[in-house]
Amino acid sequence: MSLEPPIPGAPSTAASSTALDAAALARLRELDPDGRQGVLLRVLAAYETSLARMLGQLHAARDAGDAGAVAELAHKLKSSSASVGAIALAATCAEIERRLRAGAPGDLAADVARLAADGGAALGAVGAMLRP
Amino acid sequence: MTPIHPYADVGQPAQPEVLLVDDDEVNLLLTELALRERGFKLVGASSGEQALALLRDWTPDIVVLDALMPGMDGFDTCRALRRLPGHETVPVLMLTGLDDDASITRAYQAGATDFFVKATQWGLLAGRLHYLLRASRTRIELERSKSKLARAQDLARMGSFDWWRPERGDASGLVMSPEALRVFGFGPHEPVGLRTLLRMVPHDDRRSFLRLLHEALRHASVVATDVPIILLDGRQRIIHVEAEPEFNEHGHGAGYTGIVQDVTDRRLAEDKIRQLANFDALTGLPNRRQLIWRAERALEQARRMGHQFALLLIDLDRFKIINDTLGHGAGDEALVEVGRRLRACVRHSEQVMEGALEAAGVRSHRSLEAVGRLGGDEFVALLPEVVSEQDAERVAQRVLESLREPIFVGGQECFVTASVGVAMYPRDGASVVDLLRNSDIAMYSVKVQGKNSAAVYSPQLAGRGREKLELETALHKAIERDELVLHYQPKIDVRAARMVGAEALMRWQRGGRLVPPGEFIPLAEDTGLIVPLSEWALREAARQARQWQQAFGFAESIAVNLPSRLFERSDLVEHIHQCVTAVSVPHRMVQLEITEDNLMKDLQNVIPALHRLNEIGVEISIDDFGTGYSSLAYLTTLPISEVKIDRSFVRDLGITPQSAAVVTAIIALARSLGLRVVAEGVETLRQMDVLHRLGCGLMQGFLFSRAVPPDELRHWLEHTVLPRKAAWIGSAVQVETVDDGARLAGSIPYR
Repeated sequence: MSLEPPIPGAPSTAASSTALDAAALARLRELDPDGRQGVLLRVLAAYETSLARMLGQLHAARDAGDAGAVAELAHKLKSSSASVGAIALAATCAEIERRLRAGAPGDLAADVARLAADGGAALGAVGAMLRP
Repeated sequence: MTPIHPYADVGQPAQPEVLLVDDDEVNLLLTELALRERGFKLVGASSGEQALALLRDWTPDIVVLDALMPGMDGFDTCRALRRLPGHETVPVLMLTGLDDDASITRAYQAGATDFFVKATQWGLLAGRLHYLLRASRTRIELERSKSKLARAQDLARMGSFDWWRPERGDASGLVMSPEALRVFGFGPHEPVGLRTLLRMVPHDDRRSFLRLLHEALRHASVVATDVPIILLDGRQRIIHVEAEPEFNEHGHGAGYTGIVQDVTDRRLAEDKIRQLANFDALTGLPNRRQLIWRAERALEQARRMGHQFALLLIDLDRFKIINDTLGHGAGDEALVEVGRRLRACVRHSEQVMEGALEAAGVRSHRSLEAVGRLGGDEFVALLPEVVSEQDAERVAQRVLESLREPIFVGGQECFVTASVGVAMYPRDGASVVDLLRNSDIAMYSVKVQGKNSAAVYSPQLAGRGREKLELETALHKAIERDELVLHYQPKIDVRAARMVGAEALMRWQRGGRLVPPGEFIPLAEDTGLIVPLSEWALREAARQARQWQQAFGFAESIAVNLPSRLFERSDLVEHIHQCVTAVSVPHRMVQLEITEDNLMKDLQNVIPALHRLNEIGVEISIDDFGTGYSSLAYLTTLPISEVKIDRSFVRDLGITPQSAAVVTAIIALARSLGLRVVAEGVETLRQMDVLHRLGCGLMQGFLFSRAVPPDELRHWLEHTVLPRKAAWIGSAVQVETVDDGARLAGSIPYR
C-alpha cells in the first residue's frame, strides 16, 4: 500500500464512500478554473459511462471465471476512480488488482461483488453531481 | 491565450504535437486537458490500432502510450510503430504502473524511449515530455551532423578509421568508416583488414611505410604521411594518412584514431606547379630559377669539396632573324630543337629540385648537371664538377658541334650557331651572379669576334663587352626615340669670308649626354645600324637645307658622311631622291662624303652608285684625303667634285716641311682634275695663312666654328660672319688685299 500514489484526504470512514473526494474534485476544477470548458462535467460524464460499462464487463469476467480480465478491469478502474475522487473504489481496485496479479485469486465472485458495491456507490455520487 | 510553460526552449516547436494513446476515456480526457493546459497539442487515440492508423500519414513530435490496453497493448503498439517508416526515432513514452518493473523492461525492449508512472501529477508528465523532446532534437541534430560529416568526407575523399592493438581482444584491428572504405575503393560494409591495405602499397614503398608505422607505434607518436597505393582496379592513388595515438588508462598507447584522404589530385597539382615554377614551358628544360638554384647548390658543394665547377652561357647567333623571317612559331620550334640537342651534350638530370639536396652522397652534386634555358635564346649548361678548364671547353665544343646539322623549322632548313662563354668556379667568380656575368662577358667576346665559337672568361675581356652591348641596344632605339641630332660645321671660303656649305655631323643625345660620333659610329658600322642611321641623316640634312633656304636664302649644300656599304645599296639613289623631293630642294643641296679608305676598299662596288648620283646632281666629296693608299689614277676616272685634305696634314703645317709638301701636291692634283679642295681641321690663323698661301681657300675647323646645332650656326652667321667680327676675317681680308683684291669686291654672303 505504501507504494500507492498518495491520495490527498484519503477517507478512513464508510461515510465518505458515498461522496467524491473534495481534493480530487478541486484538482479537476483547477484544469478549468473558470469552468468555461465544463471540464468537471465532461470528466464525470466520461467516468460514469466507462464505469457503467466496466461494471458490466466485471460481471461477465466473473461468470467466465477470468481472473486476468478482472485484474485488468480493476487496474483501469483504479486510476480513473482515483482521478475523479472515487477513493473507496480506487482502493478496492488496487487491493484486488495486486492480489490477482500476485497469483492469489481467492474468491473471484466476492471480489467482483465488492467492486460492484463500491462502483455502485461511486455511480450514485457521480450521478448526484451530474444530475442534482 | 498563449500558455507559458517553464520548459520552452529555443529550437523546439512552439506547440509540440503529442499522440496520446489510452483506452480509458477518463484518463485520456484528463491527460489531454492537463497537457493542453501546458502548451502541448494533443491528439488522442483510445486503442493501439487507432494510433497506428493515425501514424500512417502523420508524425507527431512524441507518442505517449498506455502500457496496458485491451487488444493491442502498449508494447505491441510500440513495436508496430517502430516498424512504420519515418517513426524509427520518434520519442515514445510508455505509461506504466508504479510497481510494474516487468513493464518497464518490456517497454524498453519494445523500443520505447522512456517510461513514466501513471499519475495525476501532470506537471511531472509535461516535464518529462519536454525532456524527451529536447533529447530527440539533440539526437536528430547529431544524426544530421553525422550525415553532413559523412558527405563532407565523401566530397573530400576522406574517411576516418580506428585501429586498436591486437591485445585488446574483440575490438582489435582496423575499423574504417564507409567513407574511408570508399577512399580505398571498397564498398561500405566490406570487411577490410590492415593487411589488405598494406598489400595495396607498391612493393618498393611498402617496406619504408611499414618502418614508419612501427616507429610511430613504438613511440606512440603521431602519424602523418602520404603513401602511394594501387587500387584493385589498377588505378594509382596517393593517400594521406594522419592519425593520433589513443592511450589506455595506464597511459600506454592502445591504438590510433585518424583519417585517410585521397590526395592524388592535390599532389598532381603540386607537381604541376613545381614543374611550372622550375621548368621552361617551351623546351621543358630547367628555367632560370631552377638553374640558379642548381648553380647555388653546385657552388656550395664545390666550395666544400674543393673542386671546380663550370658555367657555360650559350647564346644563339642571329636568332632574331629566324623569328623575324619565319615567324615566332618557327622560332619556338627551333628553340625546342636546340634545347633537345644541348641536353644531349651533358649528363642532363630532369629531377625537380627544391629544398635540401637529398641523398647527400659524395657525388650527389652530379645530379645538378643540366642544360637550362635562361630565357629568349639564351641557354646555360651547368657542369657541377670539372677537373680543368679543358673539360668545360670540351663540352662547349660539343655544344657547337651539336648545332652544325641544320634545323628544320617552318618547312625549311635553318642553320643556327651559338656563341659560348665559359666561367669557372672559383677562378672566375665566387658567386653565381659573378659567374653568370663573367660567362656573359666571355660569350660577348665571341660575338664581337664573329660568333659561332666559345671563349673562356679572362679579366681582360671584362672591360668593354657588356658596355658595348648596352650601347648597341640603346642605339637601336635612338632613332625611334628621336635621340639623334645633326650638328653642322661650316665650310668657309676665307677669301670671300663666306660660308660655302656645311658638313653634317651626327650626335646622339643619350640621357642628357651628347655622345660623340667616335663612340657610336664604329659600333653602328659593326652592327649594321649605320644603314638606318645614315638614311635618317640624309632625310634630316635635306630637311635642314630646306629650312635654311627658307630662313635666310641658303643655297649651298649640306654634306652627309656615308659609309661605303651604303653606296652598295641599290636604293641609295632612290632614297636621296625621295629625301630632297619630299622637302622640295634641288638634289645638289645634298652632298655626300665618303672617306678615301672606304672608297678604295670597295671601289668596284661603289663606282656605279657614284655615277648615278652624279647624274642626278648629287656631288661626291672624298674625305680624309691623303691618308689612304689611293691610286691616283682612279681619281681621274671617278665622278667626284671635291677632296678634303686630312686634318693631320693641316695640323703639321708649319711644323714639318713634309706636310706642306703633301698639301701642295694635293692642291696641284685637284686643280689639274678640276676638283675643289677643302682643308679640314683648321684651328689657327697661322694654318689658315699657310693654306691660303698654298692656294687652298676653302677651309673647315675650330678657327671658324666647331660643329653646332642648326640654330647656333645661323646665329653665328648673323652675328659673326656678316658683321665681319671674327679675327680670321680681318686676317683673310689682309691676305686678300695682297693676293686677290679684285675678288673680294662683289662677294657679300647671304643677305
